[in-house]
Amino acid sequence: MTQQRFTFPRWTNLALPAIVIAGSTAPLYFAIVVAYGFSPQAIDVGYMPEQPIPFSHKLHAGELGVDCRYCHNTVENTQHAAIPPTETCMNCHAQIHPQSENLQPLFESYETGMPIEWVRVHDLPQYAYFNHSAHVTRGVSCVECHGRVDTMEVVYQHETLSMGWCLDCHRNPVPHVRNPDLVTQLDWGLDMTAAERIADSESWLAINNLNPSQDCSTCHR
Amino acid sequence: MSSVNEPNQNNETGRTWWRSLDEAVATEETRTTAPGEFPEGASDLLATGDDRRQFLKIMGASMALAGLGVGGCRRWPKEHIVPYAHRPQGTMPGNPEYYASCFDFGGIAQGVLVTSNDGRPTKIEGNPMHSGSKGATDAFTQASILDLYDPDRSKRVTYGGEVSSMSAFKDWAVEYLPKQGKGTAVICEPSSSPTFHRMQRAFMKKNPHAIWVEYAPLTNTNEREALHHAFGGHWVAVPDFSKAKNILSIDADFLGAGPMQVQNTQGWSAGRKVHHGAMSRLLMFETGLSITGSKADDRFALSPAELLAVAELMAFNGTGISTIEGSAELDDEIVQLLKDEFGTPDLVVVGASQPAIVHSLAAKINERIGAVGNTVSYRQVANGSNATLSEVVAAMKDGRVTTAVIVGGNPAFDAPQELGFAEALEALNASVCLSYYNGETSQACKWHVNQAHWLEAWNDGTAADGTTCIGQPLIEALFGGLSASEFVAILAGEKVTDSHTLVQTTFNPNSDKWDPAWRTAVHDGVVANTKTIEKPPVNRKEMPLVSGVTASAQTVLFTPSPTVWDGRFANNGWMQELPDTLTKLTWDNAVLLSPATARALDVKQGDMLRIEVGGSSIEIAALPVPGTADDCFVLPLGYGRKFEGRVCKGAGVDAYPLRNENMWSAPAKVIKTGIMYPLATTQMHFAVDTTPGKGAQDRMPLLYREGTLDQYNEDPGFVSHIGHVPHSLSIFEEHQFEGAKYKWGMSIDLSTCTGCNSCVAACHAENNIPIVGKDQVLVGREMHWLRIDRYFAFAKDSHGAYDGDKLESVAIQPVTCHHCENAPCEEVCPVAATVHDIDGLNVMVYNRCVGTRYCSNNCPFKVRRFNYFDYFRRDPLRSTGLLQVQPDYYVKTQSGGKTLRAMQFNPDVTVRMRGVMEKCTFCTQRIQRVKIATKNAWVKKTDAQKKADPRVAIPDGSIVTACQQACPADAIVFGDLLDENSRVSKLHKEKRSYEMLEELNIKSRLKYLARLTNPVHGATVVEGAHH
Repeated sequence: MTQQRFTFPRWTNLALPAIVIAGSTAPLYFAIVVAYGFSPQAIDVGYMPEQPIPFSHKLHAGELGVDCRYCHNTVENTQHAAIPPTETCMNCHAQIHPQSENLQPLFESYETGMPIEWVRVHDLPQYAYFNHSAHVTRGVSCVECHGRVDTMEVVYQHETLSMGWCLDCHRNPVPHVRNPDLVTQLDWGLDMTAAERIADSESWLAINNLNPSQDCSTCHR
Repeated sequence: MSSVNEPNQNNETGRTWWRSLDEAVATEETRTTAPGEFPEGASDLLATGDDRRQFLKIMGASMALAGLGVGGCRRWPKEHIVPYAHRPQGTMPGNPEYYASCFDFGGIAQGVLVTSNDGRPTKIEGNPMHSGSKGATDAFTQASILDLYDPDRSKRVTYGGEVSSMSAFKDWAVEYLPKQGKGTAVICEPSSSPTFHRMQRAFMKKNPHAIWVEYAPLTNTNEREALHHAFGGHWVAVPDFSKAKNILSIDADFLGAGPMQVQNTQGWSAGRKVHHGAMSRLLMFETGLSITGSKADDRFALSPAELLAVAELMAFNGTGISTIEGSAELDDEIVQLLKDEFGTPDLVVVGASQPAIVHSLAAKINERIGAVGNTVSYRQVANGSNATLSEVVAAMKDGRVTTAVIVGGNPAFDAPQELGFAEALEALNASVCLSYYNGETSQACKWHVNQAHWLEAWNDGTAADGTTCIGQPLIEALFGGLSASEFVAILAGEKVTDSHTLVQTTFNPNSDKWDPAWRTAVHDGVVANTKTIEKPPVNRKEMPLVSGVTASAQTVLFTPSPTVWDGRFANNGWMQELPDTLTKLTWDNAVLLSPATARALDVKQGDMLRIEVGGSSIEIAALPVPGTADDCFVLPLGYGRKFEGRVCKGAGVDAYPLRNENMWSAPAKVIKTGIMYPLATTQMHFAVDTTPGKGAQDRMPLLYREGTLDQYNEDPGFVSHIGHVPHSLSIFEEHQFEGAKYKWGMSIDLSTCTGCNSCVAACHAENNIPIVGKDQVLVGREMHWLRIDRYFAFAKDSHGAYDGDKLESVAIQPVTCHHCENAPCEEVCPVAATVHDIDGLNVMVYNRCVGTRYCSNNCPFKVRRFNYFDYFRRDPLRSTGLLQVQPDYYVKTQSGGKTLRAMQFNPDVTVRMRGVMEKCTFCTQRIQRVKIATKNAWVKKTDAQKKADPRVAIPDGSIVTACQQACPADAIVFGDLLDENSRVSKLHKEKRSYEMLEELNIKSRLKYLARLTNPVHGATVVEGAHH
């Protein structure tokens, strides 16, 4: 038996360049994955917690056409678009589905006076002071930050709500402003062309003398 | 120092100011060593010990922990939104609500307007409709919100130290108490509440033989006695300083801390505004240096015997001199001043500490000069006492009194020592104490009932002018507890004992829930047209001319503490850390003595002295204060509580043991012990000027500018001649404010500012500023955004050297961020954490700050404060383990992270964490709130209206900073400088207006109005004329 010398097969010649390429790109790859993985885009957008009552915005705001401000009635006057008190729900639900299994926590809250603990979806840091009234009264629609809530069965976070995202609009508010009377019409303007939207926005910016501030003190106190 | 900045030395008002006594009398060599940028040790992690090793230990541990922390990266914790089940009508979550209420302090109701954020009372302001407040407050009122959330407050009823229940106490009150007959004694604090007095009458009706005594350690009993003699009945004098032009004060610190402070300061400061070339004049004779003395136009430090002589001279001026035993001979200079130069005063006020005879003489003088009914009125007050405290103690000792009921107050701590009150109380078998803290008196009693905070129960009160006030609660009692009226109602066996019904029934027995008069009174906080200042009584009777002043070589004088009053605010961190205006002392009291007396005793600041009065003695640190009468030792009361609160424990020395039945002074023997004690004064911290040597002294008159009224009348622009600065170019790229709609600015009037500290306390409450503790103050880490600088001016002796014994004047100057347009702090920040906004605010971005502290280094005013520790959130100072950091004041002084303390936080202001710089923001949260609301309303206007107002103008006065709102002297004005008609624009243009450190060309948005004084000797300040 002659001892044959072991030779590497030809394909192993590719191993070295492969290792070099993989070795040089891997750190970059990981950096990109980590950066994206930690970005608000990946972490926050799409956050969709389960709520104590499976309330459907799609049904109420979309199909039934209830105006946003029927429930979130403080939105034009204060920084919070307050979650409605139990009483507001009971205005209708005293009559509608009074036996519903899903609504039991609501009836319980109404009787005991104890609040329903909703889970916060849009959660800004404590050092950022966002004011709903300052935006809504000047023609920034709910849809700009919250997305098409009227089509959401369960509300989820639609935008990143990061500081960079805020500043995008504060630097160039043009397509995001409309007639303040139309802010709660989430499907408004879908049939307009981009140029029409821009023209409309620009006119409202001029009418209401809007000049969004980029000062730190605007949001941080 | 360039020649352009040289102050005009020939100018008579070019007084040379000194930050401290030591600085003035030091030799030239020691003076040339400048104080450091930060106080020594400020940058060290620890106050003591081996820093480097400790640092490595901590860093090593931190890095190990950092490694562990990376693993758990996810979205931040799940948060809940908890809406109302039934939202009260009109409530807007996020918009604060304001409710009128009243705070009874020292037997006078302070009208307040309380801010409520989502049901949490967070801030107290003055009630503009209340005659004694007119929208302003004092520091105590500001700080009393913190008491509500004090984790040390009593939370339950106890019996014999064991937990009991309210129902058990009520059973006792119903079963046991009525059987006591003559054996019951009630000791209560003076109260202005009509409901309380009604309940007192109900109690006395049920227990007609009971003893009822009103007792408080700091009251005007001598005045009451004198006026009782003079007019019969029970009267108090209510001076009106706004009408007085020529005021003579005999030891009356009417601008100082006390229940009348706000009203007096408002009146006095109104008289200090130059009107047709005239302003009021204040001549002050006093023993210790008070803030009233520091604002006086002419001031003399006199001993108690000399003060008596002043009253005597004024009372018998021209009608034959009587000699009262105990009065001393006056200097010719003073006699001449009083008889001749000062002229006839139109108001004479006398301090509470003066003997009754002086009050009696003052009533005589006021009658003669026609002040009565004009600058001073008298008001009749209720007198509830049917015995004195000493009679009660005697009865307790011999068994006639078997049951003691104590309603508020803390007599076991603050009653005169020689009575032996605490021992007598402890010996009783039946005793009950209603108190806010389970403190000294409660611990000496069998029953302790926890008192409700005044924001937790309905109450009412009476203002200084007799106006009835209604106080509504802001929050349900956090730990149960009773108000004083409820407590007495239970003892009296009333059927209805809830505070709401009690107060409403007092208001009108027929009033119901919908009574419009009641609803108006609750809304306004005052009942309209209930002022009771009456026509002054005629037929004044003279008092026997017996003084009660005993001559002695050394005398101690007791004064209320301007920070903890009689001890009731001792567990309030804001008050403990509030530097006293004149001594700048925090966290302690000290015996104040004149520099000459200090030399005679061979003591310096911090030397412990033993003070002996009769058989008692205390040991307390000495603090020389110029302007104190020689051989007089001024002892502030209220410190050294035995109650083990986390704040008050170990703070100061109890001076009450030296007090005898003459409540205000005593002959004493003072001995140096040779022990030193660290006193945490903030005087040398954050000094504006760190230039060493003579240069600093030359610059003081530029920092604090002043002149006399005569000088001002002659040349209204004299202020600009004090230090003329040519127009120069900036070394920085100048900030442009193109397109700015507003230009925020502030003006502070040094003429009317009295240094009452209410702005500092208000800033604390508004801006979530932490307290840091005594050991941190010692290394210069106090966090006050607004500080009050104090300088002394001394006369020169015959050799031309400054003489620390001859105090000429005291300067008081509030300093906060000047929001310079060319801000030096911004130029050096490596991470752009401090930048300008378009309206000209110098803003601090906490999230960007990495804590280099370059900005503070470069700030010429030294108004930036660094968070060396996480004073609120975590527990940065661990007392055990690897991360051990010794001083555990944090745990001791703050209920860090606990929900109770956090309830006070202003939700509109970020709570800062460790490692970031912070400073005054001009209350940017208040600016934003008004700006947003104004623009919201503007957007809804018609096109024509919008065209008429393109700038979206904010009406002047709609933005009020916290310090401005609290200020009783109306010294602080904030507003928009682009609005030519705003108050602040007009004040900036006034000739008295000047910029501090103008030569740096930093363009401050904060300008001062130079102080004007109105001394008897007019334009010239006579050197060495004063004691």
